[in-house]
Amino acid sequence: MILNFHGKKALVLGGSCDLALTLAAAMMEAGIYPLLTFRNEEGQKKIAERLSPGGGSYGACYLDFGERDSLASLLAQGGDEIDFVVDFVQGDFEGYVAAADEARVYQYFNDNVSFRAELLKKVARIMVKRKKGRFVFISSVAAGRTNPGQGFYAAAKLASEALYRNLGLELGRKGITAVTLRPSYIRAGRGKAYLEAHGDEALRLVPTGRFLTESEVAETILFLLSESAGGFNATELTMDGGLTACK
Amino acid sequence: MDILAESTKILADILDIEGREITPETYLIRELGAESIDLLELSVAINSRFNIEVNDDELFLRTLRLHLRTAAGEGRDAVGYLAEKYPALTVVRIAEILADMGGGPVLRVKDILSYVAWHGKN
Repeated sequence: MILNFHGKKALVLGGSCDLALTLAAAMMEAGIYPLLTFRNEEGQKKIAERLSPGGGSYGACYLDFGERDSLASLLAQGGDEIDFVVDFVQGDFEGYVAAADEARVYQYFNDNVSFRAELLKKVARIMVKRKKGRFVFISSVAAGRTNPGQGFYAAAKLASEALYRNLGLELGRKGITAVTLRPSYIRAGRGKAYLEAHGDEALRLVPTGRFLTESEVAETILFLLSESAGGFNATELTMDGGLTACK
Repeated sequence: MDILAESTKILADILDIEGREITPETYLIRELGAESIDLLELSVAINSRFNIEVNDDELFLRTLRLHLRTAAGEGRDAVGYLAEKYPALTVVRIAEILADMGGGPVLRVKDILSYVAWHGKN
Protein backbone atom coordinates (compact mmCIF):
# COMPACT_ATOMS: atom_id res chain seq x y z
CA MET A 1 0.00 0.00 0.00
CA ILE A 2 1.23 3.50 -0.80
CA LEU A 3 0.62 5.58 2.31
CA ASN A 4 3.29 8.20 1.85
CA PHE A 5 1.75 11.47 3.00
CA HIS A 6 4.85 13.35 4.05
CA GLY A 7 4.73 17.07 3.24
CA LYS A 8 1.10 17.06 2.05
CA LYS A 9 -1.42 19.68 3.04
CA ALA A 10 -5.09 18.94 3.72
CA LEU A 11 -7.96 21.37 3.99
CA VAL A 12 -10.37 19.91 6.56
CA LEU A 13 -13.75 21.61 6.25
CA GLY A 14 -15.86 21.51 9.39
CA GLY A 15 -12.65 20.90 11.29
CA SER A 16 -14.03 21.24 14.79
CA CYS A 17 -16.32 18.21 14.71
CA ASP A 18 -15.17 15.17 16.69
CA LEU A 19 -14.47 13.02 13.66
CA ALA A 20 -12.48 15.78 11.93
CA LEU A 21 -10.34 16.20 15.02
CA THR A 22 -9.65 12.48 15.22
CA LEU A 23 -8.73 12.57 11.55
CA ALA A 24 -6.52 15.64 11.99
CA ALA A 25 -4.54 13.91 14.75
CA ALA A 26 -4.06 10.87 12.50
CA MET A 27 -3.03 13.15 9.63
CA MET A 28 -0.39 14.88 11.73
CA GLU A 29 0.99 11.53 12.75
CA ALA A 30 1.14 10.51 9.09
CA GLY A 31 2.99 13.67 8.03
CA ILE A 32 0.05 15.65 6.63
CA TYR A 33 -0.39 19.30 7.61
CA PRO A 34 -4.12 19.78 8.29
CA LEU A 35 -5.70 23.21 7.92
CA LEU A 36 -8.97 22.95 9.85
CA THR A 37 -11.86 25.34 9.47
CA PHE A 38 -14.10 26.49 12.31
CA ARG A 39 -17.13 28.76 12.27
CA ASN A 40 -17.17 30.12 15.80
CA GLU A 41 -15.00 30.70 18.84
CA GLU A 42 -16.16 27.47 20.43
CA GLY A 43 -14.93 25.50 17.43
CA GLN A 44 -11.64 27.34 17.39
CA LYS A 45 -11.13 26.54 21.07
CA LYS A 46 -12.05 22.89 20.60
CA ILE A 47 -9.47 22.51 17.83
CA ALA A 48 -6.76 24.05 20.00
CA GLU A 49 -7.66 21.91 23.01
CA ARG A 50 -7.60 18.67 21.03
CA LEU A 51 -4.60 19.26 18.78
CA SER A 52 -2.20 21.59 20.57
CA PRO A 53 -1.15 19.12 23.30
CA GLY A 54 0.13 16.73 20.62
CA GLY A 55 2.71 19.28 19.58
CA GLY A 56 2.21 18.60 15.88
CA SER A 57 1.89 21.17 13.16
CA TYR A 58 -1.60 22.25 12.07
CA GLY A 59 -3.51 25.38 11.09
CA ALA A 60 -6.98 26.67 11.88
CA CYS A 61 -9.00 29.19 9.92
CA TYR A 62 -12.45 30.74 10.17
CA LEU A 63 -14.95 29.62 7.51
CA ASP A 64 -18.70 29.95 7.67
CA PHE A 65 -20.57 28.23 4.85
CA GLY A 66 -22.70 30.92 3.29
CA GLU A 67 -20.37 33.77 4.17
CA ARG A 68 -18.41 34.39 1.01
CA ASP A 69 -15.86 36.75 2.57
CA SER A 70 -14.75 33.96 4.88
CA LEU A 71 -14.00 31.80 1.83
CA ALA A 72 -11.71 34.46 0.36
CA SER A 73 -9.70 34.71 3.55
CA LEU A 74 -9.50 30.93 3.90
CA LEU A 75 -8.09 30.61 0.38
CA ALA A 76 -5.60 33.38 1.08
CA GLN A 77 -4.42 31.45 4.13
CA GLY A 78 -4.56 28.05 2.41
CA GLY A 79 -2.25 29.25 -0.33
CA ASP A 80 -1.63 27.39 -3.56
CA GLU A 81 -0.61 24.11 -2.05
CA ILE A 82 -3.73 22.18 -1.15
CA ASP A 83 -3.26 18.47 -1.82
CA PHE A 84 -6.39 17.15 -0.13
CA VAL A 85 -9.83 18.35 0.86
CA VAL A 86 -11.89 16.45 3.43
CA ASP A 87 -15.34 17.96 3.81
CA PHE A 88 -17.38 17.31 6.97
CA VAL A 89 -19.58 20.40 6.77
CA GLN A 90 -23.33 19.97 6.95
CA GLY A 91 -25.88 22.23 8.53
CA ASP A 92 -28.72 20.76 10.59
CA PHE A 93 -32.24 20.89 9.24
CA GLU A 94 -34.91 18.57 10.57
CA GLY A 95 -38.43 19.08 9.41
CA TYR A 96 -41.14 17.68 7.22
CA VAL A 97 -41.11 18.82 3.60
CA ALA A 98 -44.74 19.83 3.94
CA ALA A 99 -44.03 21.88 7.05
CA ALA A 100 -40.73 23.63 6.39
CA ASP A 101 -40.28 27.36 6.51
CA GLU A 102 -39.57 28.51 2.94
CA ALA A 103 -37.01 31.19 3.84
CA ARG A 104 -35.09 28.65 5.86
CA VAL A 105 -35.16 26.21 2.94
CA TYR A 106 -33.65 28.78 0.56
CA GLN A 107 -30.99 29.70 3.09
CA TYR A 108 -30.17 26.07 3.80
CA PHE A 109 -29.51 25.20 0.18
CA ASN A 110 -27.61 28.42 -0.37
CA ASP A 111 -25.30 27.61 2.54
CA ASN A 112 -24.93 23.87 2.04
CA VAL A 113 -25.00 23.52 -1.73
CA SER A 114 -24.36 26.82 -3.55
CA PHE A 115 -21.59 27.92 -1.22
CA ARG A 116 -20.03 24.48 -1.43
CA ALA A 117 -20.10 24.70 -5.25
CA GLU A 118 -18.22 28.00 -5.11
CA LEU A 119 -15.66 26.59 -2.71
CA LEU A 120 -15.14 23.49 -4.84
CA LYS A 121 -14.69 25.57 -7.97
CA LYS A 122 -12.00 27.68 -6.34
CA VAL A 123 -10.12 24.83 -4.72
CA ALA A 124 -10.38 22.70 -7.86
CA ARG A 125 -8.77 25.49 -9.87
CA ILE A 126 -5.84 25.52 -7.44
CA MET A 127 -5.53 21.78 -7.96
CA VAL A 128 -5.79 22.08 -11.75
CA LYS A 129 -2.80 24.39 -11.65
CA ARG A 130 -0.86 21.76 -9.69
CA LYS A 131 -2.27 18.87 -11.78
CA LYS A 132 -3.09 16.85 -8.68
CA GLY A 133 -5.56 16.76 -5.84
CA ARG A 134 -7.95 14.56 -3.95
CA PHE A 135 -11.36 15.33 -2.48
CA VAL A 136 -13.15 13.21 0.12
CA PHE A 137 -16.68 14.24 0.96
CA ILE A 138 -18.15 12.86 4.17
CA SER A 139 -21.79 12.23 3.46
CA SER A 140 -24.11 9.92 5.34
CA VAL A 141 -26.17 6.79 4.78
CA ALA A 142 -29.11 9.15 5.34
CA ALA A 143 -28.40 10.55 1.87
CA GLY A 144 -29.71 7.29 0.40
CA ARG A 145 -32.12 6.12 3.12
CA THR A 146 -33.84 8.85 4.99
CA ASN A 147 -36.18 8.94 7.93
CA PRO A 148 -39.14 11.30 8.10
CA GLY A 149 -37.85 14.80 8.76
CA GLN A 150 -34.51 14.24 7.01
CA GLY A 151 -35.58 15.30 3.53
CA PHE A 152 -33.66 18.56 3.39
CA TYR A 153 -30.58 17.09 5.01
CA ALA A 154 -30.60 14.25 2.48
CA ALA A 155 -31.29 16.56 -0.45
CA ALA A 156 -28.30 18.76 0.44
CA LYS A 157 -26.10 15.72 0.91
CA LEU A 158 -27.16 14.21 -2.42
CA ALA A 159 -26.64 17.51 -4.24
CA SER A 160 -23.19 17.84 -2.69
CA GLU A 161 -22.35 14.24 -3.59
CA ALA A 162 -23.26 15.08 -7.18
CA LEU A 163 -20.89 18.05 -7.18
CA TYR A 164 -18.04 15.90 -5.91
CA ARG A 165 -18.86 13.10 -8.34
CA ASN A 166 -18.70 15.51 -11.25
CA LEU A 167 -15.43 17.00 -10.07
CA GLY A 168 -13.97 13.52 -10.20
CA LEU A 169 -15.28 12.73 -13.65
CA GLU A 170 -14.49 16.13 -15.13
CA LEU A 171 -10.98 16.48 -13.71
CA GLY A 172 -9.85 12.86 -13.36
CA ARG A 173 -7.70 13.17 -16.48
CA LYS A 174 -5.92 16.12 -14.86
CA GLY A 175 -4.96 14.12 -11.78
CA ILE A 176 -7.80 15.34 -9.58
CA THR A 177 -10.17 12.80 -8.11
CA ALA A 178 -13.05 12.75 -5.66
CA VAL A 179 -14.84 10.17 -3.59
CA THR A 180 -17.73 10.28 -1.16
CA LEU A 181 -17.87 8.24 2.02
CA ARG A 182 -21.26 7.51 3.56
CA PRO A 183 -20.73 6.38 7.14
CA SER A 184 -23.61 5.28 9.32
CA TYR A 185 -23.94 5.38 13.10
CA ILE A 186 -20.89 6.74 14.89
CA ARG A 187 -20.82 7.58 18.58
CA ALA A 188 -19.62 11.10 17.82
CA GLY A 189 -20.99 14.50 16.85
CA ARG A 190 -24.70 14.65 16.19
CA GLY A 191 -24.81 10.84 16.04
CA LYS A 192 -23.89 10.59 19.71
CA ALA A 193 -27.06 12.19 21.02
CA TYR A 194 -29.18 10.08 18.69
CA LEU A 195 -27.53 6.85 19.78
CA GLU A 196 -27.93 7.73 23.43
CA ALA A 197 -31.66 7.95 22.87
CA HIS A 198 -32.16 5.17 20.30
CA GLY A 199 -28.97 3.10 20.55
CA ASP A 200 -30.50 -0.31 21.35
CA GLU A 201 -33.07 -0.02 18.61
CA ALA A 202 -30.44 1.12 16.06
CA LEU A 203 -27.99 -1.60 17.05
CA ARG A 204 -30.52 -4.34 16.24
CA LEU A 205 -30.50 -3.13 12.62
CA VAL A 206 -26.74 -3.36 12.10
CA PRO A 207 -25.59 -6.82 10.91
CA THR A 208 -22.14 -6.42 12.51
CA GLY A 209 -23.84 -5.76 15.85
CA ARG A 210 -21.77 -2.67 16.58
CA PHE A 211 -21.50 1.00 15.68
CA LEU A 212 -18.56 2.57 13.86
CA THR A 213 -15.75 4.10 15.85
CA GLU A 214 -14.26 7.49 15.13
CA SER A 215 -10.80 6.02 14.67
CA GLU A 216 -11.86 3.42 12.10
CA VAL A 217 -13.67 6.05 10.05
CA ALA A 218 -10.63 8.36 10.30
CA GLU A 219 -8.35 5.53 9.18
CA THR A 220 -10.67 4.82 6.25
CA ILE A 221 -10.53 8.48 5.23
CA LEU A 222 -6.73 8.41 5.39
CA PHE A 223 -6.76 5.35 3.17
CA LEU A 224 -9.07 7.14 0.73
CA LEU A 225 -6.53 9.97 0.56
CA SER A 226 -3.73 7.57 -0.27
CA GLU A 227 -2.44 6.80 -3.76
CA SER A 228 -3.59 3.22 -3.30
CA ALA A 229 -7.20 4.37 -3.16
CA GLY A 230 -6.94 6.56 -6.29
CA GLY A 231 -9.11 4.11 -8.23
CA PHE A 232 -12.09 5.15 -6.13
CA ASN A 233 -13.20 8.14 -8.14
CA ALA A 234 -16.55 9.79 -8.83
CA THR A 235 -18.36 7.31 -6.62
CA GLU A 236 -19.94 6.87 -3.21
CA LEU A 237 -18.78 4.28 -0.69
CA THR A 238 -21.08 3.12 2.07
CA MET A 239 -19.53 2.27 5.43
CA ASP A 240 -22.36 1.01 7.59
CA GLY A 241 -21.64 -2.50 8.77
CA GLY A 242 -24.31 -3.75 6.34
CA LEU A 243 -27.10 -1.56 7.73
CA THR A 244 -28.52 -0.38 4.42
CA ALA A 245 -28.28 -3.82 2.79
CA CYS A 246 -31.01 -5.09 5.12
CA LYS A 247 -34.66 -5.19 4.30
CA MET B 1 5.21 41.20 -21.21
CA ASP B 2 4.65 39.60 -24.60
CA ILE B 3 1.10 38.33 -24.22
CA LEU B 4 1.16 36.42 -27.50
CA ALA B 5 4.38 34.58 -26.67
CA GLU B 6 3.18 33.74 -23.16
CA SER B 7 -0.25 32.64 -24.36
CA THR B 8 1.07 30.41 -27.13
CA LYS B 9 3.47 28.82 -24.67
CA ILE B 10 0.57 28.09 -22.30
CA LEU B 11 -1.54 26.72 -25.16
CA ALA B 12 1.24 24.52 -26.50
CA ASP B 13 1.77 23.10 -23.04
CA ILE B 14 -1.91 22.42 -22.33
CA LEU B 15 -2.72 21.03 -25.76
CA ASP B 16 0.58 19.19 -26.07
CA ILE B 17 1.26 20.70 -29.50
CA GLU B 18 4.78 21.96 -29.15
CA GLY B 19 6.30 23.05 -32.44
CA ARG B 20 2.98 23.70 -34.14
CA GLU B 21 2.49 27.26 -35.37
CA ILE B 22 0.02 29.27 -33.34
CA THR B 23 -0.89 32.76 -34.54
CA PRO B 24 -3.50 35.27 -33.35
CA GLU B 25 -5.75 34.02 -36.16
CA THR B 26 -5.65 30.36 -35.06
CA TYR B 27 -8.98 28.89 -33.94
CA LEU B 28 -8.72 27.20 -30.54
CA ILE B 29 -11.45 24.64 -31.04
CA ARG B 30 -11.74 24.29 -34.81
CA GLU B 31 -8.02 24.03 -35.47
CA LEU B 32 -6.28 23.17 -32.23
CA GLY B 33 -9.00 20.81 -31.03
CA ALA B 34 -9.25 22.35 -27.57
CA GLU B 35 -11.85 20.60 -25.41
CA SER B 36 -13.78 21.91 -22.40
CA ILE B 37 -11.23 20.54 -19.95
CA ASP B 38 -8.42 22.22 -21.92
CA LEU B 39 -10.24 25.54 -21.78
CA LEU B 40 -10.64 25.16 -18.02
CA GLU B 41 -6.91 24.59 -17.73
CA LEU B 42 -6.26 27.57 -20.00
CA SER B 43 -8.44 29.77 -17.82
CA VAL B 44 -6.56 28.69 -14.68
CA ALA B 45 -3.20 29.28 -16.39
CA ILE B 46 -4.22 32.74 -17.60
CA ASN B 47 -5.43 33.67 -14.13
CA SER B 48 -2.13 32.52 -12.68
CA ARG B 49 0.26 33.84 -15.36
CA PHE B 50 -1.32 37.25 -15.91
CA ASN B 51 -2.82 37.69 -12.45
CA ILE B 52 -6.29 38.59 -13.70
CA GLU B 53 -9.70 37.37 -12.59
CA VAL B 54 -11.13 35.22 -15.37
CA ASN B 55 -14.77 34.80 -16.27
CA ASP B 56 -14.76 31.63 -18.34
CA ASP B 57 -18.06 32.38 -20.09
CA GLU B 58 -16.75 35.74 -21.25
CA LEU B 59 -13.23 34.60 -22.08
CA PHE B 60 -14.39 31.68 -24.22
CA LEU B 61 -17.48 33.41 -25.68
CA ARG B 62 -19.64 30.62 -24.25
CA THR B 63 -22.76 32.71 -23.89
CA LEU B 64 -22.54 34.24 -27.36
CA ARG B 65 -25.70 32.61 -28.73
CA LEU B 66 -27.62 33.34 -25.53
CA HIS B 67 -26.68 37.01 -25.81
CA LEU B 68 -27.74 37.05 -29.45
CA ARG B 69 -31.15 35.61 -28.56
CA THR B 70 -31.55 38.20 -25.80
CA ALA B 71 -30.54 41.03 -28.16
CA ALA B 72 -33.05 39.80 -30.75
CA GLY B 73 -35.75 39.48 -28.09
CA GLU B 74 -35.17 43.02 -26.92
CA GLY B 75 -34.92 44.39 -30.46
CA ARG B 76 -31.32 45.48 -29.89
CA ASP B 77 -28.56 45.73 -32.46
CA ALA B 78 -26.47 42.55 -32.12
CA VAL B 79 -23.06 44.18 -32.50
CA GLY B 80 -23.82 46.91 -29.97
CA TYR B 81 -25.26 44.41 -27.51
CA LEU B 82 -22.28 42.07 -27.79
CA ALA B 83 -19.88 45.00 -27.41
CA GLU B 84 -21.42 45.61 -23.98
CA LYS B 85 -21.11 41.96 -23.01
CA TYR B 86 -17.58 41.52 -24.37
CA PRO B 87 -15.81 44.79 -23.63
CA ALA B 88 -12.44 43.28 -24.54
CA LEU B 89 -13.50 42.76 -28.16
CA THR B 90 -13.55 45.49 -30.78
CA VAL B 91 -16.64 46.19 -32.85
CA VAL B 92 -14.75 45.02 -35.93
CA ARG B 93 -13.96 41.70 -34.28
CA ILE B 94 -17.56 41.24 -33.14
CA ALA B 95 -18.79 41.80 -36.69
CA GLU B 96 -16.25 39.25 -37.88
CA ILE B 97 -17.46 36.75 -35.29
CA LEU B 98 -21.09 37.20 -36.36
CA ALA B 99 -20.16 36.57 -39.99
CA ASP B 100 -18.14 33.49 -39.04
CA MET B 101 -20.64 31.67 -36.80
CA GLY B 102 -21.83 29.28 -39.46
CA GLY B 103 -18.39 27.71 -39.65
CA GLY B 104 -18.30 26.38 -36.09
CA PRO B 105 -16.79 27.63 -32.81
CA VAL B 106 -15.46 31.13 -33.48
CA LEU B 107 -12.95 31.48 -30.65
CA ARG B 108 -9.51 32.49 -31.89
CA VAL B 109 -6.21 33.07 -30.11
CA LYS B 110 -6.59 36.81 -30.67
CA ASP B 111 -9.75 36.79 -28.53
CA ILE B 112 -7.72 35.43 -25.63
CA LEU B 113 -5.07 38.08 -26.22
CA SER B 114 -7.71 40.84 -26.26
CA TYR B 115 -9.21 39.56 -23.02
CA VAL B 116 -5.85 39.47 -21.26
CA ALA B 117 -4.83 42.90 -22.56
CA TRP B 118 -8.18 44.51 -21.66
CA HIS B 119 -8.45 42.97 -18.19
CA GLY B 120 -4.80 43.70 -17.50
CA LYS B 121 -5.50 47.37 -18.09
CA ASN B 122 -8.86 47.55 -16.28
